[in-house]
Amino acid sequence: MTQGLVYLAMWRRTLSTNHRCLGCRGGGLLKRVWSAHSRLVSGAPALPADRITALQAADLWRTRFEEEGVTEPEESSRYIIAHVLGAKTMESVEPERLTEHLSRGKTEQVWQLCTRRLSRMPVQYVIEEWDFRDLTLKLRPPVFIPRPETEELVELVLTDLRRKSGPGVGSESGQTCVEVGCGSGAISLSLLKSLPQLRVFALDRSQDAVDLTGENASRLGLRDRLQIYQADVMKNAESVLSLCGSASALVSNPPYLFSEDMASLEPEIYRYEDPAALDGGEDGLNVIKQILTLAPLVLSDQG
Amino acid sequence: MSPLVLFASRVLSVSRRLVRTAASGLSPLLTPTPPGLPWVLAAGKKNLTDLPVLNEDELEEQFVRGSGPGGQATNKTSNCVVLKHIPTGIVVKCHQTRSVDINRKRAREIMREKLDVEYKGELSEILVRKKESVLRKQEKRRKVNEHLERKRLFKETLSEE
Repeated sequence: MTQGLVYLAMWRRTLSTNHRCLGCRGGGLLKRVWSAHSRLVSGAPALPADRITALQAADLWRTRFEEEGVTEPEESSRYIIAHVLGAKTMESVEPERLTEHLSRGKTEQVWQLCTRRLSRMPVQYVIEEWDFRDLTLKLRPPVFIPRPETEELVELVLTDLRRKSGPGVGSESGQTCVEVGCGSGAISLSLLKSLPQLRVFALDRSQDAVDLTGENASRLGLRDRLQIYQADVMKNAESVLSLCGSASALVSNPPYLFSEDMASLEPEIYRYEDPAALDGGEDGLNVIKQILTLAPLVLSDQG
Repeated sequence: MSPLVLFASRVLSVSRRLVRTAASGLSPLLTPTPPGLPWVLAAGKKNLTDLPVLNEDELEEQFVRGSGPGGQATNKTSNCVVLKHIPTGIVVKCHQTRSVDINRKRAREIMREKLDVEYKGELSEILVRKKESVLRKQEKRRKVNEHLERKRLFKETLSEE
């Protein structure tokens, strides 16, 4: 009887709000929606005639975002401007730099990026990167943006893997992990970075995700211990099983929303992120059930 | 089994139960630890091993991730961590990175340093090191000024010849 260790992110909420919105189904429609939105966006303030400081720019754009109903107006403007200044957060920029005048080039950059945010593009896609634990990942639509709660999932997995390999010389070597639905590679790469002896098989049904995970892995120097496959656990279970041997752990942050809730998502999500990464079917459990069915076949006896 | 492993497995069993329920924003890892097992953090880059140990029971963390539906259904970018130490009232705010996890850890490191100063006052190694660094900088400045002065005098004697 295999004692599998299966980690699934299970935060599920039924969304009972009733917002009417543009429903997006399918990746092709998503692409058309992005370009349409970038053309439709009016309301971008003109570039300032005089030079302004970073703080003034942040204030100006915060106000603009508020006027346009963009969520997290203050955070959005601050992250974007910090990024243009080469930092992760405004709080980590030297105070003197915040009151210096921005160069023309940097001002234009701020304007270009903030204008993207006006069309409700998530900040992570606007600046094309975000942090996940101690990694900085490259991000682009429609590949799913890692959620902060998933950082805790990784922490749990690490604790378990370390405990299992604990006593015994060199026992940490030779552990393998399978990730279903790797997206940008957040979970797999975090595990690889923290456990130098770990090897990971990462799967995703989306070629975009497979490509992005590969890119992030190479940038982080973790490509050699990672094998990435484009595979859909729902459709080709057999190929999945043939690819992955006996793993110590199976990890996933699978789609789990109820299909009926897909229509009430905020624009940041329905306009830009792959709905296939979110929709878990009528009860939200389609993918989860399939993963649990495959788990005993993928995991080793101690997995 | 070593105490650390026992602790980790207890956290895990608590966490597993909590992970299955709908999260109301409360992180499983921040539930009160069982009594008698304080949360011991790695000392961090300063390699100070005698900073006070934090007891999660005494800490209050503001969930700036926001209320309401969480998980996949939203895209929240606010991840500033505000940590309060209830007995002393000391508050630490950390928004150094864009990772909640890292900000939480750094906030705790900073809290340990602040508590060290609070409890040990002048004797706190934090303050001692700060003083040493200030003194070193003053010494350096003094030496540079001396050197510049000597150069100036030398140039003067040269121009006199």
